[in-house]
Amino acid sequence: MNTIRIWFTKEGDASYISLLDLQRAMGRCLKRSGLPVWYTQGFNPHIYMTFTCPLSLGQESLVESVDVKTEEESPDFEEWKNRLNPVMPGGIRVTKVAPVVHKGEEVAFARYTIWTRQPGGEEAVRAYNQAQQLLVEKKTKRAVKTIDLKEILPRVEAHLEGDKCTFEAVLPAGKDLNVNPTLLLDSWQEAYGFPARNWNILRTQLYTGKMEIFC
Amino acid sequence: MLDPKLKQALAMVQKPGRYTGGEPGCVYKDKEKVDLRFAFCFPDTYEVGMSFLGEKILYELINAHPNWWMERAFMPWLDMKEQMEQLGIPLYTLESKDPLTSFDIVGFTLQYEMSFTNILAMLDLAGIPFYAKDRGEEWPLIIAGGPCVCNGEPVAPFFDVMQLGEGEDQLQSLCAQVEQAKKEGISKEELLLRLAKIPGVYVPAFYDVEYEEDGRIHAITPNHPGVPAVVTKAILKDMNAYKPPVNFVVPLIGAIHDRAQVEVLRGCVRGCRFCQAGFIYRPMRQRDAEGLDQAARDLCANTGYEEVSLTSLSTSDHSQLEELLDRMNTWVEKEHVNIALPSLRVDNFSESLIEKTTKVRKSGLTFAPEAGTQRLRDVINKNVTWEEIERTCTIAFKAGYTSVKLYFMMGLPTETMEDIEGIADTAHRIVDLFYAIKDKPKGKGSVQVTISCACFVPKPHTPFQFCPQDTMEMLEEKQAHLRAAVRSRKVKVNCHFSDISFLEAVVAKGNRRLAPVMVEAYRNGCFFDGWDECFHYDTWLEAFKKCGIDPAFYAYRTIGLDEITPWSHMDYGVTHEFLVREYQKALQAVTTRPCNKACSGCGANQLLGGPCFEYNQNLVH
Repeated sequence: MNTIRIWFTKEGDASYISLLDLQRAMGRCLKRSGLPVWYTQGFNPHIYMTFTCPLSLGQESLVESVDVKTEEESPDFEEWKNRLNPVMPGGIRVTKVAPVVHKGEEVAFARYTIWTRQPGGEEAVRAYNQAQQLLVEKKTKRAVKTIDLKEILPRVEAHLEGDKCTFEAVLPAGKDLNVNPTLLLDSWQEAYGFPARNWNILRTQLYTGKMEIFC
Repeated sequence: MLDPKLKQALAMVQKPGRYTGGEPGCVYKDKEKVDLRFAFCFPDTYEVGMSFLGEKILYELINAHPNWWMERAFMPWLDMKEQMEQLGIPLYTLESKDPLTSFDIVGFTLQYEMSFTNILAMLDLAGIPFYAKDRGEEWPLIIAGGPCVCNGEPVAPFFDVMQLGEGEDQLQSLCAQVEQAKKEGISKEELLLRLAKIPGVYVPAFYDVEYEEDGRIHAITPNHPGVPAVVTKAILKDMNAYKPPVNFVVPLIGAIHDRAQVEVLRGCVRGCRFCQAGFIYRPMRQRDAEGLDQAARDLCANTGYEEVSLTSLSTSDHSQLEELLDRMNTWVEKEHVNIALPSLRVDNFSESLIEKTTKVRKSGLTFAPEAGTQRLRDVINKNVTWEEIERTCTIAFKAGYTSVKLYFMMGLPTETMEDIEGIADTAHRIVDLFYAIKDKPKGKGSVQVTISCACFVPKPHTPFQFCPQDTMEMLEEKQAHLRAAVRSRKVKVNCHFSDISFLEAVVAKGNRRLAPVMVEAYRNGCFFDGWDECFHYDTWLEAFKKCGIDPAFYAYRTIGLDEITPWSHMDYGVTHEFLVREYQKALQAVTTRPCNKACSGCGANQLLGGPCFEYNQNLVH
């Protein structure tokens, strides 16, 4: 039995598919592709699938992945990719099919490109960089704890191009600490008045705890 | 790339996936290169609309023409409607995201009366004037199809064209005419005159309605030469000539019916006297098992669905159902597909049917006896006996089912409190049956019987169209009586709201005078009327009052057998004489046999130009 990691983008229309809906949709896509994926052997067999580090609704990504199993001894990865792409929803493009290197739980950080065309973005970035501290309440399963975003992300660099203001951020995305970029942007809305929904968020890379590229 | 304003709106709403499109199976074309653009509008939420088979049929048929492009639009839920209004986003289709005003044809499907105000809401969101008379040459052609067109009079003033009957041929003819008209550059009036010649096409503006002083109709007359006095519905004579659709747009967020559907037959042989579908889709026509099996298999392969439903008004009346199931059972397991039979009847439910359809999961069982006593079941011609209910439930309980849902109606013609007690009694007897079974599967210790009670709404084109609806007070009294009569904790009672049913009755039997009431109600916040949480009965009453219309006139009045009804110029094949005959038989509690057992002379065979069936007695199980 081989475990295979399918890498895909999730952009545009597809950024509004929730994890639950994505699981169902991906199952149907795999079924349509006719590829020899492995079904669980229970009373109600279904395709085995594990998604890595699910994305929030409305965010886009170039590095989503789902693990499936197959009984094929040496799967032709290029063939898998070519058969999957035609059956995917709009906004999802399979970029790579590859053997699993890291376990899903090894993801510790994620890199995001965050941008806006609305006036005021740059000022929000500047205000954040000048702040000494930005405390936010973060709900976990057990309790609400207060964290200082400035400790996690001391500053960001804004790049300006026409009316577009862009910055990059690497944030914790592991099982111990996970800081969703919306937590950052919501806190900016509260502190500096720039509406969080004006930002566009694109996830561009995942890393392990040793800052190796997750693959 | 999504429009920034749309993105802002989507960030603020629940289930944004309703508004984005991009689902597998959805069709994209180059809008510069197509000759005709069609916006198919479903006047309810995405989840409801995406469950609807009719749209899938037409989407595949129209998009099979390389130079026509059909796209989809749905009614946005309250939060999205508000965002769209605030941000100035006009109602758009999911494929191109172009506003409805960029289309040649904007078509609505009329599935139920309580969705009519959503049509106004959708036109309003698109910035399109409501009334056909207020729309000049620059506006899209606004059309309607679907079952409620059979009395679409309350909304007729809003439409340029309404289509009676089955859309497969008809809509393609209509699109061809519109394409031609664009090339020729003819006026809308000229186009409408051409369209009126297509079978089943009704142009409301070509008919004048005159009223008596008391509100009844004096006459309905065509006002243009060459327009038929009576419009006869369009029909597919041979169901096998049209393959069921084998490509569905597969929703990414869960639709209500999120599964493959194959329409095995159309129409119904049963003739239940309350059922509008049972009369307006006559005669019953079925598809062959071989083609159905292939279609089901192709559809599952193309969509990735793991459940396929064999849909129709009464699937177990298909004469080759067992053969079809046998064929499908050769591949479904390997392909990880379940078969679902949604509309089984109590009277021909067999062990082998259970065996062939529920290899995987045993869920609840749903039956519709509709009435609580044999006398009343005979009145409504629901030919189901207690013995059959008993037999069916016994089979089901032995097979491991533990929950039974029973559908009933309240307020049926001739109904008494004894019939209401009969509903509770039926449920009690089913509970007793469960405990009487000695060899029920282990661990299945308890049973749940749910009674779901709708309020009867008399519908046009049925033998009960002449009947008044029970008053709300009467219905509520009956509901209280039923609750008091239930004495088992294993029996749960759900009753529908009587005020919604009252409005449904008003609109169902309404005439064109209701159009301004609809507009008034919509302007005051009535839409999504079919959703309990959005239904504002008082606002509706105010709208009626303001327009000087008495709703009771439509719902509570007995219609004379010789009266001209608002729908008397619409011919669905079933004759007026037949409806009168059935009505009179109902009052005497005399039943009529199913059409495939004995022809009762309804007149619908004229649509086929010959008899509907070879009268093979084996057809009915």
